[in-house]
Amino acid sequence: MSVPLVRLRGIERWFGRVRALAGASLELHAGEVHGVIGSNGAGKSTLLNVLGGLLAPDGGTIEIAGAPTAIGSPRDAWSHGIGLVHQHFTLVPALTVRENLALGLRGRSFQEIDQIVDVTIEQTGLWVPLDAPVRSIGVGDRQRTEILKTLLRDPKLLVLDEPTAVLTPEEVDGLFTLLRTLAREGKAVALVAHKLDEVLAVSDRLTVLRTGETVLSAQRSDVSVRGLVAAMVGDGVADEIAVGVYRKDRPGSSGGAHGNPKGDETTAGVADAAPLVGRVVDVHDDALVDVTLEVHAGEVLGVAGVEGNGQHELALVLSGRRAPIAGQAHVPEEVAFIPQDRQREGLVVDFDLTENVALALSRLDRFGTGALMPWEDLEKEAERIRTRFDVAAPSTETLAGALSGGNQQRVIIGRELALGAPMLVAENPTRGLDVAAAAYVHGELTRLASEGLAIVLISTDLDEVLGLADRVVVMTRGRAVDVPESERSREGVGALMLSGGAEAT
Amino acid sequence: MSGGIAPARAREVALLGFGAVALTLGAGGLLLLAGGYDPGAAGAAMLRGSVGSWNTFVSITLVRSVPLLFAGLAVALAFRAGVWNIGAEGQLYAGAIAGVWVALTFDGFPTLILIPAMLAMSCVAGAAWALIPTLMRLRLGIGEVITTILMNFVGIYTAAWMVHGPLQEERGIFPQTDRIVEAARLPSFIPGTRLHLGFALGLVIAIGLAVLFRRTRFGFQIRAVGASPEAAAVAGRIEPSRVIFITFLASGAIAGLAGAVEVSGLTYALYENLSEGWGYTAIAVALLAGLRPGGVVVTAIFFGSLRAGAGAMQRDAGIPSAWVDVVEALVILGVLGLERVRAARIVTDIREGDS
Repeated sequence: MSVPLVRLRGIERWFGRVRALAGASLELHAGEVHGVIGSNGAGKSTLLNVLGGLLAPDGGTIEIAGAPTAIGSPRDAWSHGIGLVHQHFTLVPALTVRENLALGLRGRSFQEIDQIVDVTIEQTGLWVPLDAPVRSIGVGDRQRTEILKTLLRDPKLLVLDEPTAVLTPEEVDGLFTLLRTLAREGKAVALVAHKLDEVLAVSDRLTVLRTGETVLSAQRSDVSVRGLVAAMVGDGVADEIAVGVYRKDRPGSSGGAHGNPKGDETTAGVADAAPLVGRVVDVHDDALVDVTLEVHAGEVLGVAGVEGNGQHELALVLSGRRAPIAGQAHVPEEVAFIPQDRQREGLVVDFDLTENVALALSRLDRFGTGALMPWEDLEKEAERIRTRFDVAAPSTETLAGALSGGNQQRVIIGRELALGAPMLVAENPTRGLDVAAAAYVHGELTRLASEGLAIVLISTDLDEVLGLADRVVVMTRGRAVDVPESERSREGVGALMLSGGAEAT
Repeated sequence: MSGGIAPARAREVALLGFGAVALTLGAGGLLLLAGGYDPGAAGAAMLRGSVGSWNTFVSITLVRSVPLLFAGLAVALAFRAGVWNIGAEGQLYAGAIAGVWVALTFDGFPTLILIPAMLAMSCVAGAAWALIPTLMRLRLGIGEVITTILMNFVGIYTAAWMVHGPLQEERGIFPQTDRIVEAARLPSFIPGTRLHLGFALGLVIAIGLAVLFRRTRFGFQIRAVGASPEAAAVAGRIEPSRVIFITFLASGAIAGLAGAVEVSGLTYALYENLSEGWGYTAIAVALLAGLRPGGVVVTAIFFGSLRAGAGAMQRDAGIPSAWVDVVEALVILGVLGLERVRAARIVTDIREGDS
């Protein structure tokens, strides 16, 4: 094989006493899309950030076109033709798309820039509303802008960190077509994505990281899904994770004795069988229009929909975090809540595990009602959660911000379940998690429903909703539309998602 | 990072603090050199004037640190809740006016009634001074940084007007109030020195705040709201506006005490320009202490000794006391700079955690 465009060998990187990379290697060739996969905390983002000059490695070598090189800064990376598309957007919201693009090309006249932009858009099909302010455009357009901004500078290697996390399925397809085109034109592309099927669909070559080490690097055609998963999670665990298959049969409901067999259930049937736990009637709010919903013990109510159609407001109302402007919300006094934004609403990243557990649990009567915090009891509870939910943290004094996304989610799930609430609202609970962590969350949700918890699963991941939910509603423009059993498929729900819900109510 | 400056862990506070102090004293020394002064002689004069003897330390340094201690605690409390109260200066003047008014009006009462009444009234006045910015933030969404700074001017000039008008001394010559009666004066804390009980009261408040943050539910709520109002509201079901309301007013009350304690313990009268900008220095005091009450005791004494030493430097080495103002400003910059480094590290850690 030819000399790789970039070769990383034996890369090490420490964060304090945590070793994020322990001898990771990566070879990127021109004309190839290279997928980097691995569990949460495996070091994928760290490795890409080393490549992009954002992090200096503590050990190992970097070769570019065969020559040993040090990449000390993003500027260095650019001088070698490495363009990193950021996971977190770096656009200026007040400026227009065009102005943001111009920021990436300082030192040229606006005329020149316009010309370059036009040509690049023509070549790539990355159509973006050039004269709209960034603050007014959607995440998909923002990401296209971000990619365009990078491509304008004509990189030899395009690095993308989780580009699909915020995109709709259709947008993902468009992105992948683009990446394939870029590779065909001779660029090298490296990407991290959490969904295995996506990485498999687009990559020519795959590298698997586990606990900071490269455990597998192979042509896509030479590896099986099972082999990849085994490499990601370590031997022996793979069998427990059925990739892409959700466990629909759960103990207790599969026999139909006191559940509702999938085939013939109706909304009315569920209502008769299980006690009502939560109910909202004619609710109106900033982003909600006339929403009526019921949630019953032991069921998973799936709420599907494209981001920003009122799901977050619905989650806040259902979890009792917000009183609706109009209408009634009858929800239990205590509702367990897994908010979408873990690091903003779910946890205080500057607090340690005990403090984060205390954040929600200290209001419970069992932790007393006096003026003092029962820190000893809370510390024990945090330790119990850490052990029971396998949180990869050395102790309860670890700061939440130092944990990987999957482990942060474990802390939140453990804590919220300890509330002992009759109802759980989970908002995109697996967003940003890898296969193993997502499977864990799905398993927990299924188990909890079988134990009688009423669960509302709000997700933009249609497969997740269809796979786990007993009943499905779709949110469109603030309305909640029931999905009849007959239309409970990707196509059926997808059509409802786009219909605007006007005729459905 | 929504809370802005996160209170650091104890060890990091100490490291940051020593780093900032070393950096700024070094920079301050260079400034002296550039100005043609002898840093060695200046340092010697500063040490002599602040910690040269037991009596110097207690009667000058500790006495000068008292208002910084109260105001520093006030600022630390507010900052912990994510409330950027830059208004300790104005709240301090409000407290001083209220305290001196009580002492002058009820001058026939015994000490045990008069002094508590002065202190209580100064708390009310300080809290009232903070109330306007509090309501403007909570009701109108107007940032408290600007409003508290503006309220400082109102406080400073209200005090000036008081000592030229309603509260001016009997003869109407000097811009100051009459001296308060004996019964309104705080007793000595260490006999034979000028150190009054106000210092002890400051220590009690520091211990109280430390217990509040570490042990109590409300203290935990303050920390949660300061670190992340969103998580406090969603995960903790805490009402941030309630916590902010109480904390902001409490901060104003403690700053108000600073004024009354200074009048009752040391000056025995309210003057124009009573404060040497203590309410502003308090920000450096609180930041250098990592917003920890115990640390504030140390940093208040540190800045007290700088101020005490500055007097000696001016006398013995001819160095303008403005030099100390420059050093104070440099400390703030140093702390914020080093804090930024720490915050940046945490941010990278979090982003890495995502991988």
